[in-house]
Amino acid sequence: MADDIRNNGRFYNIYRSFKKNLFLFWTILPAISYIGIFFFIIAFFLINLSLTQFSGGQAVLSPTLANYLNIINSQEFRDAFIRTLIFVLVSTPLQLITGLLFAMLINKEFKGRGIVRSIFLLPMAIPTIVTTAILLLFFSKGGHATSLLLGEYAWFPRILSREISFINNEFTAIGISILGKVWRDTPISMLILLAGLQSINKDQYEAARTMGSGSVKNFFYITLPLLVPAISSVLVLRSIEAWKEFIFPYILAPSYPILGVLIERYYVQLLDPGTAAVIGIFLIIFIIIGSAILNWLLEQARRYLVKV
Amino acid sequence: MKKKLNKEKVIWLIMIILCMAAVIFPIYIMFKYSISDRTSWITGGKYPIPWWPNKPTFEMYKYYLADTRFWGNAFMSLQIALLTVAICMVIGAPAAYSLSRFKFSAKGVLIFLILSIRLFPDISSVIPVAYTFNVSFLYNLPPVVKVALAHSVLGLPYVVYIAQGVFETIPVDLEEQATIMGASKLYAFTRIVLPVALPGLAAGAIYVFLLSWNEFVFSYFITATSSVSIIPLPVYLKSLFGAFSPNPVSVATLSLLVSLPVILFTFFVQKYMISGATAGAVK
Repeated sequence: MADDIRNNGRFYNIYRSFKKNLFLFWTILPAISYIGIFFFIIAFFLINLSLTQFSGGQAVLSPTLANYLNIINSQEFRDAFIRTLIFVLVSTPLQLITGLLFAMLINKEFKGRGIVRSIFLLPMAIPTIVTTAILLLFFSKGGHATSLLLGEYAWFPRILSREISFINNEFTAIGISILGKVWRDTPISMLILLAGLQSINKDQYEAARTMGSGSVKNFFYITLPLLVPAISSVLVLRSIEAWKEFIFPYILAPSYPILGVLIERYYVQLLDPGTAAVIGIFLIIFIIIGSAILNWLLEQARRYLVKV
Repeated sequence: MKKKLNKEKVIWLIMIILCMAAVIFPIYIMFKYSISDRTSWITGGKYPIPWWPNKPTFEMYKYYLADTRFWGNAFMSLQIALLTVAICMVIGAPAAYSLSRFKFSAKGVLIFLILSIRLFPDISSVIPVAYTFNVSFLYNLPPVVKVALAHSVLGLPYVVYIAQGVFETIPVDLEEQATIMGASKLYAFTRIVLPVALPGLAAGAIYVFLLSWNEFVFSYFITATSSVSIIPLPVYLKSLFGAFSPNPVSVATLSLLVSLPVILFTFFVQKYMISGATAGAVK
């Protein structure tokens, strides 16, 4: 009897808190279920496909770990992994530097600041596929880049002796992809860093100036340490995006696939969704490991800076 | 002291001009190609590609602006983008509000769940999504709705993230006073918080609009595998330069036409974009 009452009371309490939080429930439910359903579909299909062996577009064996074994032992996958790693290691710091440069240039009161800021934001607004099209035109055979490097313009020295194909050379193809990626994503880093710069109290610079410190010292001893949170979020967010990159290398370096391009190749061209899914799963694992390592490094850097 | 200041200013000016040049240069190249005549892009290696066309012509613009296929594709892209914005805002803004206002134990998990869908590389999540839309009972949905639903998966995390930052900047006092006077939570949200948050939310909406207008991977996989003749503009552009021998003038003209609306958009609304990005980014 006593138990009954206590149970009732507990239920009543749960019911009351539920009713009280009904607004909370109904506002969050749609977003969570929308994302949740897609999350489930994506995760389920990826795992399911990765455990199925395909031959000529038909599922032949399931469940099997054959796809995993094939991929781990394949040279193609290792090459793609190294290219992806290089892509991440080069493009992420570059985006930080260009973003910081843009943010510091714009973090100043001057006439026409709004227009300059709009211009700096342009790469973000232009569709990625358009950016790849421009790069493709610029670096195409008989395009501007070849004319420039062959010294056909009077003001530029001759660097190459004969025409090279930028798209069919591993170094230049990945290089152009990185160039496009950095050009396109600099505004995003810029916005995050700009927000960080604007939250720095101007008095600190004044104080440093009265003590005779110059701009360079100010930058390394005031700006940079105070920007560490913004820099960390740029590095983490941008490196995740760099791991996931698909479109630039897909158009500009089709013969030298990074992991994203390799997924497309297996899924669309080789009709092997199983292997494609395995690469997708590995890519997610790499992203998680990469972010964990980066977070650890940033934590170490933060500690070091705070100690000093 | 004064001299040093001037030197700094000169360096700053030079840097800002160089950076602007780096941003504008590719756009200029696109424009140059789009108004090129034939001798300006087929040189046969005899002379360098000119930086300004020998005989500028707007022929290709005339062709595209009179082309019904182009307008059909553009209209489809617009429909998709607007529908995506609508879905993301209607679902995302209330969730962001609750996540910013209420303290409960599962909050961190929920935010992580919403953001974690962005961990999947687009190219691996597109396979299940395209498969679901093209093979299951959702097959009969109009392509516009299919693509918009897929784009919403990409846009929703951004909206929740940005809008949560916006709501956190709005003082709670306003709603508390309204609640004391007997307003319900829904009333306080729709009549008091939303109007104040509108500029910040506009930033989220703009992000989602740009994201959807520019998105290629999902549009490509969903429309390419089903038999539709009208396709979003980025996919249309890809089909042009994926051809055997693409015509640079045609590619450049279409590129410019696709980018023009978003370029103009950026100039008009950049203020909101900044406020939105900072609201989401700063802790």
